[in-house]
Amino acid sequence: MSPTSKEMSKKITDEYMYEAFHAHEQGKLIGYSTAISPVELFVAHDIIPIYPENHAVANLTAKKGAELCSVVESMGYTNHLCAYARSDLAYRKTGITVTKGIPEPDLFLACNAQCFTLTKWFQVLARKGNLPVFVFDTPEHIMDTNARKEIVKYCVLQLKELISFLEEVTKRKFDYDRLKEVMKYSAQSSILYKKFLDMAQYKPSPISIFDALIGMAIAVYRRGTQECVDYYQTLCDEIQAKVDQGIGVLPKEKEKYRLYWENLPVWFKFSDHAKLLGSYGGVILTSLYVHAWSFEFDLDKDPLVTLAENYVSRFSNSTIEDRADMATELFKKYSMNGMIMFMNRSCKAVSFAVPTLKEILTKRTGIPALVFESDMGDQRFYSETQIRTRIEAYFETLDRLQA
Amino acid sequence: MWDSLSIKEVVECAKDPYPSIRKWIKDNGKKAIGSTFADVPEEVIYAFGFLPVTIMGTNKPLKKAPSHLPDNACSLARSNLELIMSYERDIFDGFVLPQVCDTTQHLSDIWRINFPDKYVESYLAPRQADRPSARYWVKEEIERIISSLSNWSGKKITDEDLWGAIKIHNENKILLKEIYDIKKNNPEALTNKEFFALMKLSQQVDKTELNQSLKKIKESLKPGKNNGYTDVILVGITCDPPEIYDLFDEIKLNIVGDTLLVGTRYIQGIVSADGNPIDALTERHFKRGFFSPIHDNVYKNFEEVKALYKETKAKAIIYVHIEFCESQEYDLPDLKKMIKNEGILMHTLDTEYQTLSLSHVRTRLQAFFESLKGGSL
Repeated sequence: MSPTSKEMSKKITDEYMYEAFHAHEQGKLIGYSTAISPVELFVAHDIIPIYPENHAVANLTAKKGAELCSVVESMGYTNHLCAYARSDLAYRKTGITVTKGIPEPDLFLACNAQCFTLTKWFQVLARKGNLPVFVFDTPEHIMDTNARKEIVKYCVLQLKELISFLEEVTKRKFDYDRLKEVMKYSAQSSILYKKFLDMAQYKPSPISIFDALIGMAIAVYRRGTQECVDYYQTLCDEIQAKVDQGIGVLPKEKEKYRLYWENLPVWFKFSDHAKLLGSYGGVILTSLYVHAWSFEFDLDKDPLVTLAENYVSRFSNSTIEDRADMATELFKKYSMNGMIMFMNRSCKAVSFAVPTLKEILTKRTGIPALVFESDMGDQRFYSETQIRTRIEAYFETLDRLQA
Repeated sequence: MWDSLSIKEVVECAKDPYPSIRKWIKDNGKKAIGSTFADVPEEVIYAFGFLPVTIMGTNKPLKKAPSHLPDNACSLARSNLELIMSYERDIFDGFVLPQVCDTTQHLSDIWRINFPDKYVESYLAPRQADRPSARYWVKEEIERIISSLSNWSGKKITDEDLWGAIKIHNENKILLKEIYDIKKNNPEALTNKEFFALMKLSQQVDKTELNQSLKKIKESLKPGKNNGYTDVILVGITCDPPEIYDLFDEIKLNIVGDTLLVGTRYIQGIVSADGNPIDALTERHFKRGFFSPIHDNVYKNFEEVKALYKETKAKAIIYVHIEFCESQEYDLPDLKKMIKNEGILMHTLDTEYQTLSLSHVRTRLQAFFESLKGGSL
């Protein structure tokens, strides 16, 4: 019997972490990378990518955020920095983690298409070991088409610099043929990952955003490999089987509200939110965040060009107008009739655009929005009663409108 | 209007330059183009015949900005947005806004959407400065800004226009440097508040006119003694509100060096007069000192601060932290450690735009000064 996607995910993750912890024995280096970063170059150069963000997510989901963040504040860092960074810096000091931890880095790749905070966080880590950091600078993907061409050129130049940097650090020549092979896997898995996310179009939706958040992990840390392609093929097959049988997150008759979520999740409220919303007939289907790994690599192009084009145009690096267009497209495609806009204190890069984005989206769709402020990982900024009350009031509004 | 200001008038004007800017653009039939920190090449804007104005917040109440930027956003960003939304919108025909950090990542978008009647362009400075691609990109961006301003205004500029603008801006910076040199050695000749008002106003009003005032002010400065002053250096991005300088003056701290954008980092922007003007403006970008959002090595900051400390023979460092400035906040704990390990005294001032009461700053600063006197003086 073929393994399930869940079994495959566990096997891939276990093997990946085993390899990472034994990297030096195999003559390999550990490269810390931001989650949205042209990691295909690492994979092609046999550098094992490790994502401190993923490790932070594990700790924050397990409600370790407040404990870890308190530690880092005593080290002189303020409480409004990113909870990923704060919990990670505290993990370095205390060793507290709900996983086996992550191996120490040899080098860093910081791409600011996601945010600037990751660059600063990696710089703090690099200073401790005097390690090399490569900043892949992605200027905002502004709307001027000529400017976009120039931005891609600048990014391609930097990718060439990144290759030289990797060659210098590893004392090995970069293999462009290997990169083409990695790109092929990345392109295939991205198409399948997007197919998986888009299955939320069905009514009832067979997946919620919570499934997407679990399902995206392999795309984040194993893209560029055959096993990543195989995993998403299996996942798509499983979800398609649910669709064929009419199985939804909620039964068809109970699925009243198909919701859009803006921002990263509140990791420590992950399952609570799913249950609470479900009790009102609400299912969060998608967000631009989970689509951040839906790359559309063009294998007919120079690999560096298609990498640059894809990484620079992620939602977090796009203008608010483009981001509104991307979200509007999702509203239409997924037939959504509600939206929850999370102002995440941890993520300034994404959140500071939210009030403006909300104005545009509510105007365009005519759908009211629930806006709430909290933190994705630090429970001290989460007000249980207040947020629950707001969610309840929001569904009452939707009910009234529907009536 | 700004060509015969006394130093007292400079201080007054720097506090709220907008009424004079409003009158000046009306009288001269000019357009004002605003920009925010940092590194927008104001010479380019000037070469088009526009008035480049660096927007540096307001002390007036926040009314509209909080609904666009939450309370954990950098107070300068909120203050700048408020300044335009509620108070000085009519002055500006457009804005060139840089992207340097998470707070500024989408600021151009927010401004463009909220001010649809204005010209809003982004200046995408590189956030890495040590590789050849950064130099390539700065040049591309300067050329793009020229092309964008040209498309918007229907005007073309020549190399001569750029050189003319560069000359006036260089003259301004050279004058400021000369005045700074006098002030450093003669703190009684010019207070900290007066000197940094000159710095601020220089980035906000017409330099052809202000340079005339600077020349006269420079000539009028009388050498005095360093009578009981303690020399310090100021490290950070900006220092606001200006009343903080009053506190320095009260306890006789003499700022003999700094790394501020409204300070030495501005003066460091003198452009070489050789070759092609766009190349010269590009090279200038890399001559300026450490700026946390674009430089990726805090050691560079530390080395610069240490060198400045030694060169000026200052007694202590005062670090000005802007509330909610992430960039500073990631660097500061390590910078503090490095400075402490060198045996250098350092005091951190926590500041916020719209601050009305400085009593906490005063108390902490006085306590630090007392320990400084008791310790190393």
